[in-house]
Amino acid sequence: MNLLKKIAYLVTFTFLVASCSQDDEGVPLPLGAYENGFLITNEGPFQNGSGTVSFVSDDYLFVENEIFNQVNSSDLGNIVQSMGFNDDQAFIVVNNSNKIEVVNRYTFESIASITEGLNNPRYFVSSGSNGYVTNWGDPFDDTDDFVAVIDLSTHTVTSIIPVAFGPEKLIMANNDLYVAHQGAYGQNNILSVIDVSANILESTIEVGDVPNSMVVSNNDIWVLCGGNPEFTGNETNGKLVKVATRENAVVQVFDFLPTNHPKSLSIDGVSLIYNLNGEVFSKEVTSSSLPTSSIIAGSFYAMTINDGKLYATDAGDFASNGTLKIFDLSTNSEIITIATGIIPGGVYFNN
Amino acid sequence: MKKLYLLILFINATASMYAQLDSIQHLTEVMLIDAKLEDYSEGFELIQLSDTLIARNSVSLTEVLNFNTTIYFKENGYGMVSSPSFRGTNASQTAVIWNGISINSNLNGQTDFNTIAPSSFNTIIIRSGGGSTQYGSGAVGGSIHLNNTIDFQKKQSSDLRLSYGSFSTINGVFKSRFSSDKKYIDLGIDFISSENDYEYIDLNQKNENGNFDKLNVAANAGLKFRKSTLSWNSNYFSGTRKFSGTITSPSKDSYKDITTRNLVTWNKTFNKWKNTIKGAHTFERYRYYPQPENQLYFEGQSTTYLGDYQLEYEINKDLKISSIISYTYIKSKGTNIGTNDRNTLAAIFLWKHHLNEKLSYGINLRQEFLTDFENPFFASFDVNYTINKYYSLKANGSKNYRTPTFNDLYWNSGGNENLNPETSYQVEISNQFVWNQFQLNITGFYISSEDLIKWQPGVDGLFTPVNISKTENNGIEINGNFSKSFNKHELNLVFNYSYTAAKDLEKNKQLIYVPYHKVTGVFNYYYKKFSAYYQLLFNGEVFTTTDNYGILDRYSVSNLGFEYLIQEKLFPIKIGIKFNNIFNTYYENVAYRPMPNRNIQTFINLKF
Repeated sequence: MNLLKKIAYLVTFTFLVASCSQDDEGVPLPLGAYENGFLITNEGPFQNGSGTVSFVSDDYLFVENEIFNQVNSSDLGNIVQSMGFNDDQAFIVVNNSNKIEVVNRYTFESIASITEGLNNPRYFVSSGSNGYVTNWGDPFDDTDDFVAVIDLSTHTVTSIIPVAFGPEKLIMANNDLYVAHQGAYGQNNILSVIDVSANILESTIEVGDVPNSMVVSNNDIWVLCGGNPEFTGNETNGKLVKVATRENAVVQVFDFLPTNHPKSLSIDGVSLIYNLNGEVFSKEVTSSSLPTSSIIAGSFYAMTINDGKLYATDAGDFASNGTLKIFDLSTNSEIITIATGIIPGGVYFNN
Repeated sequence: MKKLYLLILFINATASMYAQLDSIQHLTEVMLIDAKLEDYSEGFELIQLSDTLIARNSVSLTEVLNFNTTIYFKENGYGMVSSPSFRGTNASQTAVIWNGISINSNLNGQTDFNTIAPSSFNTIIIRSGGGSTQYGSGAVGGSIHLNNTIDFQKKQSSDLRLSYGSFSTINGVFKSRFSSDKKYIDLGIDFISSENDYEYIDLNQKNENGNFDKLNVAANAGLKFRKSTLSWNSNYFSGTRKFSGTITSPSKDSYKDITTRNLVTWNKTFNKWKNTIKGAHTFERYRYYPQPENQLYFEGQSTTYLGDYQLEYEINKDLKISSIISYTYIKSKGTNIGTNDRNTLAAIFLWKHHLNEKLSYGINLRQEFLTDFENPFFASFDVNYTINKYYSLKANGSKNYRTPTFNDLYWNSGGNENLNPETSYQVEISNQFVWNQFQLNITGFYISSEDLIKWQPGVDGLFTPVNISKTENNGIEINGNFSKSFNKHELNLVFNYSYTAAKDLEKNKQLIYVPYHKVTGVFNYYYKKFSAYYQLLFNGEVFTTTDNYGILDRYSVSNLGFEYLIQEKLFPIKIGIKFNNIFNTYYENVAYRPMPNRNIQTFINLKF
């Protein structure tokens, strides 16, 4: 596979170089073998093993698994939680191994490993010259959670911002960093707002219980809160919460039914899309109520939308390779099913 | 024929390390606490491991069985949690029976074979095949019997074995016994401590956070009256283990467990009637510490009270029947399982009939009452046929079960109180050939299991156990034993081979961590006071993912040992050295968890 890829790459490269020399119109050089397609992070088996990253070409014809290992001849580490980007660099967050592998997102060649200063890292975003990584610390300790600040030029953790229990996903909006506190092994119900110019915690906003996903729409952040699950003995319903970033305040709340626990919020233009009770729902940003009928059937481990298509993963039994299903959101029909690695947890686009 | 066996197996006392149990001479004064094991399992394959053999892998029961049987072990790094797969069945489907009592955890259904001190027992017997009718839940693939014997003969002896080896491993075993024709008492202390910080070959990494300390104290006592006997067995174990990391992830967690077991047995015989009353108390507790600097822990504990009445009647010398009423009360509590209890009443009927000198059969029946499940009924049938002096045949068929554990039922979150027991049907045929000094067993088995409990994610992503899986296992086991002596040299060769196809019928794939092939071999050589041995273990490749994409390579490991007896009449001393993994093979038993590189153990054994 590796050899094939290299040959394919070389051939393309030679062809492009040749065509460049023929007419100096300046066809851009290819950035790497993984330029035209998308990446899937596969968490990997929970205890004994390594997570992986898969690549799928835009036309779905070329699928390559374990690309980090193929390129760098080493394993990523245990539980590949997520990936974030800064320019042409990808930051692969490896949760159990307490590290971030930095690679070129197009070639997947290793650039750096960040191993110091992280403790149970979860998600990464970049802003300006810094990267921000949520860290659980000890998942049973409510007081040691933090956001690590990474200098993107040196690839080192330069400072930490202590935050409330269970920071998970983060998102940049209106020049502030918003951190959803899903609650690690427990539950929490707030967003932290971080001023990235000073790297300090600015404020917290109470949303619903267990905020598990967020999207930005204009000057608003939509936060999907799963609600406390039944086993906690304090079950609460899920909520879809709109936070205005100008005021940093909750401006609208949609309540789900008492035992409903939605997840995986994503946005397609003006449609908010989420997964609930084995079905995918779509709600217009402006509509005044939650939809009652679904657009697609299926319970998915992760969902992402890109360019009018829904990328939904299925982790199967969590002990074998999973699948990715791609749906066309204009017709809500399935386009293709692609085999992935073990526990596919995120889909990321290279173009 | 039995004499012939004895001749072969008892070439000298030290050579007789492996034995088909039916060939073992019954010394009248030896009292096995679990007498029914031998009496009512004639159509089952029983293999006994002697104490000489046990001493060679005295570090853990995992090692003893790994190198001497076809049972496959999944060990989460050396010395860490170890679970068996007997004929491809899951870890909760091998029952461990301590002096007749099942000691599998009520919390997770398994016995961690690295928490059993093998030196504490006089014999370890492996009973292949289903044994739920006699031994209850979990005796599906087979059962491991840890037995203490009590014998009323005048004797006083003590034994001290000290061992030191690589990775700062210190092992001490002290055993002492005093007995007369009326009284018996013994005490055994077994201690092991290891840094367990072996290097991962070619990886520039060490086995971090893997050190362990274990202490086992066992005491057994017996009193003999004119027509009755009274005995007491007890065992205490305490272990502290760090849990070693993997190649890709470090670890910080640790684990402490304690188990205690006490059993009182009273036997009284009236003519042809034999009464046995048993009372037992067992306790288990684990504490899991996720972080070293944080004293926060997760705990689970379980207490079992068992009362058992057995009435046996010898109708004539060829026909014996026995009925047992057994009551068990279990109470468990823990961080994640709340406090719950369970009552079980079981009625067991055993029948053994020698039709003639060559043919015998047995019938075992078990009906349970009071359980939270549909009161199950189980049965087994076995037959033993000696065709001629070279060839004999054993066959059995049984229905067996495994009850859901307290974790399965009550775990927060996910536990499912509506679970039913796993059910399993099995048949096996075992052929035994004996020819001069060569003995060969070939056994074929078939196991069909349904309603297997599997934790799987629901729509909301929460894992919950469901009675869903179906499996079908079949395979062949070949066990051979060859001995030869000339002049003062004695040779003995033992080998085991198993082929196990264990299929998940949903996916039509081989179950994970079940090798198709496993081989063990031991070559023993004796010359006067000197002995040498070579142990070989081969595990075929195993699948690590349920779709059989993930594969863990096959491996073979060899050990080499030398022992020398310094004969002093009153004070015999034995010294020995053992080289483990002599070829310094890199191998993983569980993916991403390398096992030890080449290492050395030395010992001195004093008898007084």
